[in-house]
Amino acid sequence: MSGVAHDSSGRAAGKPTLAERWYVPAEISALRVWLPFAALVNVLILGGEALRGNAAGMSGTLTAIVLLNSLYVALQNDARRWRRTASRIFATVALIHGALFPLWRDISLYDLWAVSWLVVPAGLSLYWLSTGLSGAWCAGASDARAAELGLARNRRLAPKLEAFGLHVFLLHAVALVVAPVVWIVDVSISPGNILGGAIFDAFSLEHFYAVLGGEAFWLWTSNSLVVALGTTLVGLLLAIPAGYAFSRYQFAGRKGAMFVFMLIQMFPGIIILVPYFMVMKTLGLLNTSIGLIVAYSVTALPLCVWMLKGFFDAVPRALEEAALLDGCNRVEVFFFVVLPLSLPAVAITALFSFLTAWNEFLLALVFNTSNDAYTLPVGLASMIPATNQLWGDFAAASIVVSIPVVVLFVLFQRSLIQGMSAGSVKG
Amino acid sequence: MTPRRPEAGLTAWMSAALLLCAAAAGVPDAKAQQVAVDDAAQAYRQIRIEVDYTPAEAIAGFEIWYADQAFESTGDAELHSTIRVADTSVLERALESVVFDRCWSNGLPIHRDAAGNPVVNPDATNWSCALSGMTPGTEQWIAVVPVGADGAPLADTESLQPVVGRTDVPDERTPPPNTRPVLYALSLVVLSTVALLLFLRRQDALQGRSKSRLAHIYVAPALIALATLTFYPIFYGIWLAFTNADQSRLGDEAWIGLANFATIFAGPGVWRVTLFTFVWALSNVLAHVMLGLALAVALDRRGLRGRMAYRTILLLPWAIPGYISVLAWNGMLQPDGLVNGMLGTAIDFFDGAGSARMVVILVNIWLGLPFMMMVFSGALQALPASMYEVAEVDGVSRWDQFRHLTLPNLKGTLVPVSLLGFIWTFNSFNTIYLLTRGNPYSGFGEPGATDTLITHVFAVAFEYGQYGVAAAWSVLIFLLLIGFSWAYLKRTRAMEAVA
Repeated sequence: MSGVAHDSSGRAAGKPTLAERWYVPAEISALRVWLPFAALVNVLILGGEALRGNAAGMSGTLTAIVLLNSLYVALQNDARRWRRTASRIFATVALIHGALFPLWRDISLYDLWAVSWLVVPAGLSLYWLSTGLSGAWCAGASDARAAELGLARNRRLAPKLEAFGLHVFLLHAVALVVAPVVWIVDVSISPGNILGGAIFDAFSLEHFYAVLGGEAFWLWTSNSLVVALGTTLVGLLLAIPAGYAFSRYQFAGRKGAMFVFMLIQMFPGIIILVPYFMVMKTLGLLNTSIGLIVAYSVTALPLCVWMLKGFFDAVPRALEEAALLDGCNRVEVFFFVVLPLSLPAVAITALFSFLTAWNEFLLALVFNTSNDAYTLPVGLASMIPATNQLWGDFAAASIVVSIPVVVLFVLFQRSLIQGMSAGSVKG
Repeated sequence: MTPRRPEAGLTAWMSAALLLCAAAAGVPDAKAQQVAVDDAAQAYRQIRIEVDYTPAEAIAGFEIWYADQAFESTGDAELHSTIRVADTSVLERALESVVFDRCWSNGLPIHRDAAGNPVVNPDATNWSCALSGMTPGTEQWIAVVPVGADGAPLADTESLQPVVGRTDVPDERTPPPNTRPVLYALSLVVLSTVALLLFLRRQDALQGRSKSRLAHIYVAPALIALATLTFYPIFYGIWLAFTNADQSRLGDEAWIGLANFATIFAGPGVWRVTLFTFVWALSNVLAHVMLGLALAVALDRRGLRGRMAYRTILLLPWAIPGYISVLAWNGMLQPDGLVNGMLGTAIDFFDGAGSARMVVILVNIWLGLPFMMMVFSGALQALPASMYEVAEVDGVSRWDQFRHLTLPNLKGTLVPVSLLGFIWTFNSFNTIYLLTRGNPYSGFGEPGATDTLITHVFAVAFEYGQYGVAAAWSVLIFLLLIGFSWAYLKRTRAMEAVA
């Protein structure tokens, strides 16, 4: 802004006026952010065209990138008037180039999306550069008064434009997140094992009948339920007292024990998998629920202890002290005061261990070599080996398995995330 | 089970070799074939046959027929099992005890297809199978018939000359493995943990901390569980790293010094797999942090419409069981999958080393993003809104707000979370295993193009059965991770929080 004083002489030919220096329409500011972003997206699209081996598409996209960048450069603050004129020309050319896209790409949903990353920025630019206050700015016709009005207008408009940009960004993220979900639903209700093609073009419940009517799925489900419920129970029995002790008592070895609980989380299952496997094999615990329950309750233990410690910390000590004064002993205080108060927290921890056991794959893969002992993750993965891939059945089973888990997760997301970050991130 | 053919078995072949098909069936491609029974390898209800043959294009598989009396026609016998001939490079060697009939081809455990049926490579010149389900103490007649691609036999099925074998291993269960050493070690671990706790309790008593009398009892179950199931396996694993433990030696492994480590460092692809593991972990963390931060900042904007809906949807990759979403991406990325369908191409992304690596990284970025997003969201919500209001009044641009206000304030979260993310990605197994199993294949015993240290150790242990080597790998990974964890814990100042 220090340059303002020097430019106060007025409208020298080709130089921006004071008003222009001070005032940039919100649309133009938005374009300055969006255009490089659009160019970046077009670079990704260029990669897609390279994958396709489509030379016309590659040159077309490259042209789009050049045009969007030129437009961006032409819209810079210190732009001379001729560059503003050039910006209109670039926008027009970009729009025409985009409109002619059937010449350089196919007409499919993907192509329409790709070309919209040229047409929409170019179209918006041309529209804003030709009309309203931003058009006047572009023509170099905005005077001090227009700038004053414009600044007020900017305050209203800028958040809206920003929100628009955010929504575009978030919607793309949503599309990427939802794509596999839509795909699974589509595969599960399509007859046969078709992986691509049009979405929701046929309907059949054959895969659901095949999965739910077969024995294997229910066997795996009951295995998973036994293992997950057993893990939850054993895990909580181990974790609750430990979490409580860490939260309430100062004792010799506390520091070391908590450090160990923290450290254990850092190590992958694989490094103890071989000895684990050999111990389980020697004890004859392969292909049993007990083997998995024991293994899972211990792997989930450190995080459960940390979660519970965090939750117990939040229970006021004054209540316990009051109960002690009233003649309860320590054990009674724990069972009748602390535990009921932290029941929601215990439930969250239980949910966490349940989900961990329900979704675990590696240990279940190694410990369960017989089809009868498979848990759901291993069972579902066994539907898709190198040959004979039952994608439709897999998709149907996945939906049945995921729905309860996703509902539970979404319902309790806040507490789950809070608890988990208490154990891992906060330290 | 040993992958190598026992030497004793060679000398003990008793049945005469016989010519089966060739001229009799009038198929010129079907070559001579020799079937023999390996009596030295007989086991409970098992007869092991050895088949040597000349590979021929016409042979698409073998049928094994058997009966408890002599037979000439397959009509008088029962089909025991079939073996396919197919390209085995896409398949894997079966885990031990997955299947009943243990088979070998050219001295190595045979490949299996999806249904568990054995598959031999077209180049193989022999295979052998331990046929199960044979009645002990009686003679069994066994014949092998090569079949063509259409399933039609390439030999005359009316004039078969079966070989005779028998298994005399008595009808009793094999004795269970000796559990005493394991139980002894486990009780030792439990006792020493209890002793440690008692010692600590005494120390407390000496210092007069009577209020915390119960604490050690509360902590005891968790600590004992941790000691028996985490510390003990770690130390057992360290011991295994210096032994020759493998599938055939369970419980009677012997000390072989540093040989396993020598095997690792002499093996091909050691540095490649290590490098890829770091590339994998670093690129994932970088993308997770950058995109997670971008999404968190976007969601943190005041007055954003539909924030809860966005948040919930963007959490989906975390909420859906990981193995399901990875397998879904696997399906979408197949040559006939959704991604190729949208692009109008038929690219096999899992074929080339470069594209396969790219794909596993991208899918893992998708998978891990919500965690980072939520962590940063939480951290952003803790920042005072007034800070941004002041900046707004002063006309600080959004980007400058982010750079000079948000980023410095997030540093306390950013650094530990990145380290934790690095450790987690380093340790992750499911994404790679379920997408590529480490393929593209680089050679037997060698890490595949997309193998990380973790998936490679899995393959060494449970596909090649080399427990000792896998344990040695685990020790090396353990040492690496101690370094990372030390950095992490130092950064989070966990110890201060504990104290």
